[in-house]
Amino acid sequence: MPDYAIQIGKVEKVYGGKLPVHALTGIDLTIVNGEFVAMLGPSGCGKSTLLNLIAGFEEPSAGEIRVFDQIVVAPGPDRAVVFQEPALLPWLTVWDNIVFGPKLRHLAIGQYQDLALEYLVTVGLEGFERHLPDQLSGGMKQRVGIARALLARPRVLLMDEPFGALDAQTRLQMQQLLLDVWERQRRTVMFITHDIDEAILLADVVYIMTARPGQLRSRIEINLPRPRNLDLLMEDDFNQIRREIFDQLRAEVLSLPKSPIRLK
Amino acid sequence: MTMPAPIANLMAAGAPARLMAARRSTRPLLQILALPLSVLAIWEIAGRAGLLSEAILPWPSLALEGWYTWAFGPTGIGLNAYSGTWLSNVIHSAQRVFLGYALAICVGVPLGTLIGWNQTVARVIDPTLQGLRPVPITAWLPFSIALFGVHDFGAISLIALGSFYPIVVNSTHGARDVNKNLIRATLMLGGTRRQLFFRVVFPSALPAICTGLRVGIGVAWTVVIVAEMVAVKSGLGYVLWDAYYVGRMDIVIADMVSIGLLGFLSDRVIIMIEGQILGWKKLQQV
Repeated sequence: MPDYAIQIGKVEKVYGGKLPVHALTGIDLTIVNGEFVAMLGPSGCGKSTLLNLIAGFEEPSAGEIRVFDQIVVAPGPDRAVVFQEPALLPWLTVWDNIVFGPKLRHLAIGQYQDLALEYLVTVGLEGFERHLPDQLSGGMKQRVGIARALLARPRVLLMDEPFGALDAQTRLQMQQLLLDVWERQRRTVMFITHDIDEAILLADVVYIMTARPGQLRSRIEINLPRPRNLDLLMEDDFNQIRREIFDQLRAEVLSLPKSPIRLK
Repeated sequence: MTMPAPIANLMAAGAPARLMAARRSTRPLLQILALPLSVLAIWEIAGRAGLLSEAILPWPSLALEGWYTWAFGPTGIGLNAYSGTWLSNVIHSAQRVFLGYALAICVGVPLGTLIGWNQTVARVIDPTLQGLRPVPITAWLPFSIALFGVHDFGAISLIALGSFYPIVVNSTHGARDVNKNLIRATLMLGGTRRQLFFRVVFPSALPAICTGLRVGIGVAWTVVIVAEMVAVKSGLGYVLWDAYYVGRMDIVIADMVSIGLLGFLSDRVIIMIEGQILGWKKLQQV
């Protein structure tokens, strides 16, 4: 039996209320330990909902989610999250934000200081330890969020469109950074995005999700060699995969008239 | 249009920049002082010209004179009951404000943040609080005198109650408004509910709490004056009413200005403290 990091069985998510929203339906998914998985889909397809369920921020309406064979009941540092908005505490310095997790867990400073320093350097923020988040650019804030998540030593790293709010250049820079870090650590990553290039560049496996109610439409293995870098974006292999995914996504987006927003 | 000789000389000497800077710094000050100074001047002139009745509206110089005796005159002389008592009255009022306000903070901030954070606390306490809040603080006066008599604690409890409302309401609002992602981030890093409250909810609520504190100190000075008029026999509020009764309108005016100054000063102190704690918040507003 393979070493599964995440097992999702028959998961449904319905948001109640006067107008119930069926966000996810029949999600069956397994992610092998050490795999980098990207979830790709149109906005509103429930990608983030799925991530929130794995993180333990929300509960599934039906079905179950296991992370390393433990049923998810609450958030925890074994499943660190990098949010789209960096979600840093604005009154803490960069350093205090990075070490916030270990401090909450009352670890002795010796247990995390070296690693924290290493991640601070890895994400290129040395010299900014004493700055406050609002003195940093969007990309730098997001790097603090990544360092903070890595320092939790998670078994699974959940990333919810972490580069979605960044400008194109910064996004490329961050993608390269993430590739470098990941290829050294090979930690299980679930990465939510609506950017096709980003998904192909980073992931081993790309899942395409359907429009609401969110379902998994297809699974595409990305067999591009590692270590990867941004040059890949210009290569024929890359573009071939890109076209394949694009055609599927287009079909998905065109099927949207179910939703109240009409696309021309 | 001809230019005054000194200015023309300066410009010729190549110092226009410095001149402009000097002008820029004096002009706002003039703009600020123009209105109050002209009102005072007109008031003074009208008084001296015999247009005003000294018994109803004494002019500034008379009020200043009255204030001087009130502040620095010898005490214990039967002729002027107010002579030399200004400081002790200021201290009486300030003490009551301080005690009542401190009490309001000690109860209002923890209670407000808890109401904002915890649904059970909110359900148990908030409706009662919102039900009592429309009762104006002045309507509590008879009740407070009946309960505490003409005694310090009557005034202090009224001040506490009056400033408690804005503090508790703003604290509640602040604690309710916490960014959901900060809560999620703390939970996923392994934070407990207790840590969430002290390390995330409370600091997040601080800007709103400070707003409540500023509104609260204003209410505290309002209430101390009302309470002292009725419920005690000392302080600026007591003197205000007493001076009116004996027709010392100069003292009334001096008293009003004193209250205004004290309110202004205590507000500045709170803003100063706020600036010290909320440096991070200022960064967000740029």
